[in-house]
Amino acid sequence: MTIGKLAKLAEISTDTLRFYEDESLLIPAGKTEAGYRLYGEGAVRRLDFIKHAQHCGMTLSEIRQLLELRADDSSCCSDVRSLAIRKKLQLEHKIKTMQVMSQALSELIDICTAEDRPLDNCPILTALESSIAKQNHDPH
Amino acid sequence: MSIKVEFFSTPGCSNCDRTGDSLKVIAQAFGEHKVTWRDVNLLGELDYAVELGVLTPPSIAIDGQLVFPKLPSTAKLREELARRLAREPT
Repeated sequence: MTIGKLAKLAEISTDTLRFYEDESLLIPAGKTEAGYRLYGEGAVRRLDFIKHAQHCGMTLSEIRQLLELRADDSSCCSDVRSLAIRKKLQLEHKIKTMQVMSQALSELIDICTAEDRPLDNCPILTALESSIAKQNHDPH
Repeated sequence: MSIKVEFFSTPGCSNCDRTGDSLKVIAQAFGEHKVTWRDVNLLGELDYAVELGVLTPPSIAIDGQLVFPKLPSTAKLREELARRLAREPT
């Protein structure tokens, strides 16, 4: 099928398909005499795979690793599982970091109760400035 | 007080088990009164693993600190434990 037909079937843009080709995620099965890309039936399944992996937070590079594992006869399920576990750990770390950030913002919001103060007297800006000064003074 | 070694891995990882076993032998050679070993199922104690910063299991924490994010050689582990024991008040 042509790139346009595949894009329509998979509900993504032709630009994305070309980008996936550059990233070695989806290579066309061939080209017409005029140079137009042609894709096989497996292309839709592969795009579904990419979409599902993206929903799990996988980056394109990680998806490429998964696809390489899938194509490698010497790989086994535990290799894929290890990759999934590493990804989960990364996500949990990010969640934890974001929770700390959110808590820091809550503390800043709590110290600023008056909404009509002038900007020079804004407790949030003052707190941020003093924490920056503290960091510069004591990098550890 | 004994040194606490925690080995973070996931069940079903045969490579982790093999390497973990050889490291466990090194740790246990110091005697249980000096070094204790705990196998931690990463998926069962995910919060704790994240708290310590485990990102690429299998990993080893010593006394609640991630000392080996990637597994050390047996010699390296022995060296680290001996160094810590030498520091411990008798």
